[in-house]
Amino acid sequence: MSNSSTSFSSSVHGVERERERERERERERERMERSSEEVTPSEAAVLITPRTDPIRGDDRNGNLNPISTASSLRAEWPTIDGPLGLSEQDSVGYARKFFGFGFILLPMLWAVNCYYFWPVLRNSRSFPRIRPYVVGSAIGVTIFTAMLASWALTFTIGGERLFGHTWDELVMYNVADRYGLTGWI
Amino acid sequence: MDQSQRPKGILHSLGEEIIRIITPVSICMFLVVILVSILDADSSSSPSFTTIATIAYDETTSDTEWDKFKGALLNSLVFVTVVTLVTFLLVLLFYFRCTGFLKYYMGFSAFLVLGFMGGEIALFLIQVFNFAIDCFTYVLLLFNFTIVGVLAVFMSKIPIFLTQSYMVIIGVLTAYWFTMLPEWTTWVLLVAMALYDLAAVLLPVGPLRLLVELAISRDEDIPALVYEARPIIDHGNTTIVQRRVWREPVNPESHIESSQNEVSIANVEQGQGDELRAPLMEPLGENMVLEGIGLGASGAIKLGLGDFIFYSVLVGRAAMYDFMTVYACYLAIIAGLGITLILLALYQKALPALPVSVLLGVLFYVLTRVFLEEFIVQCSSNLLMF
Repeated sequence: MSNSSTSFSSSVHGVERERERERERERERERMERSSEEVTPSEAAVLITPRTDPIRGDDRNGNLNPISTASSLRAEWPTIDGPLGLSEQDSVGYARKFFGFGFILLPMLWAVNCYYFWPVLRNSRSFPRIRPYVVGSAIGVTIFTAMLASWALTFTIGGERLFGHTWDELVMYNVADRYGLTGWI
Repeated sequence: MDQSQRPKGILHSLGEEIIRIITPVSICMFLVVILVSILDADSSSSPSFTTIATIAYDETTSDTEWDKFKGALLNSLVFVTVVTLVTFLLVLLFYFRCTGFLKYYMGFSAFLVLGFMGGEIALFLIQVFNFAIDCFTYVLLLFNFTIVGVLAVFMSKIPIFLTQSYMVIIGVLTAYWFTMLPEWTTWVLLVAMALYDLAAVLLPVGPLRLLVELAISRDEDIPALVYEARPIIDHGNTTIVQRRVWREPVNPESHIESSQNEVSIANVEQGQGDELRAPLMEPLGENMVLEGIGLGASGAIKLGLGDFIFYSVLVGRAAMYDFMTVYACYLAIIAGLGITLILLALYQKALPALPVSVLLGVLFYVLTRVFLEEFIVQCSSNLLMF
């Protein structure tokens, strides 16, 4: 959690970058250990197989090898950026913050949350700590978009027949003309 | 099997890296051309639009060409001087370790560009298309868009795709603003900025070179608006590559790239426009050490946002004449970018990305407008070709 707070108020780049580097190195080391474990059983099992390409995000690695600990390997990276994104510990604070800030009329933050943690949404049994926030964000986005779309469509399609005089006052191009919003550039 | 993947790997990764930098540049140029074509009609009726780039001379259509040229030279001189001063100020601030201030300033300028500039262009589009949106929805959408954009620029842990998109959008908005300058001023300004970039990055006393050297010596990140391409992850090794590769102290030949481009579209009356140029960065080579694991991919290419902006301004201005010039200038710019990348691979140091592309682009614009257009029009009207 302190990591995520520093990532929000990063006034000293060097420190943040060092931590990132350390984390990345740890991840690499872990991953190289794991991948070396996986490779040998599969190579032993089949005579002539090329080493299969682990797909980016390493989602399939766990699935290929039934011996490996499937749940921890299947969705190794909670973010959509895979190894370039956050690790699981950082993600919890991040997801929580975005979920919280989305309530101040910022549904786009919820959408970003869902997009960023798409692997979490996809595998319904992984990342138990992050999942509530991401699912909450998804629900929030759908509800908000439904409300906003219904209002906007009512406004556009209803037009003057529905609203009468106030339609002219509310529509954006009239507001822009009235306050001269396009004139100052 | 591994052997057969190796040669494919190098070509594959090299080509993919180049594509990953050319694609956003092309998208930015394309969007600016579309914006310029839709929101046209400003070519003849340029409103008296005083900014720092037109402070010395306000071009009117009734002046002679020589007067316009002289006025444009004056304008460009003023602009380049201001940019130089601001860049030196930036170097000074960076020297005194005010990186926090710089980051906040960057976020603030992104807020201005996205909020005000983006809002205004959205209003133009709404007026042109008579799109019946109400003010609450509009304000809400703009608010969301701006806040998420500032976060994307400010924070480091945002989806890469989102950060890249917002960089391109900021580039588009700023470039559109620049295309609203008078014509001669724009062209002379482009050439002047290309020469300035050349001087600032290559001369030992140039501000950008000082900035970059400071950043390397301290092993820090320059707070700047930089487009960073997604680094290639070698599938064979699944190693994670560090994104800020240029700060690896192991390799003394690391090329760096710092691009700081902030354009604050402040008051029209005061006429402010800060902007800083930046060189192009090259990915680190294969001899990077990563805890003894086999490597694979190199770091990501970074291109400064100023380069995006000026390329798009060039193409946008060409679009104000005709689409023929757009095609010619687009090809010239992409060729210039390719040449710059090759030079980068040869010289292995920070290079300015503007000069080759902009000078080629301006040359092609002039040649197309003077010679090619005449040729094509004559051929077409005589039903000879096309």
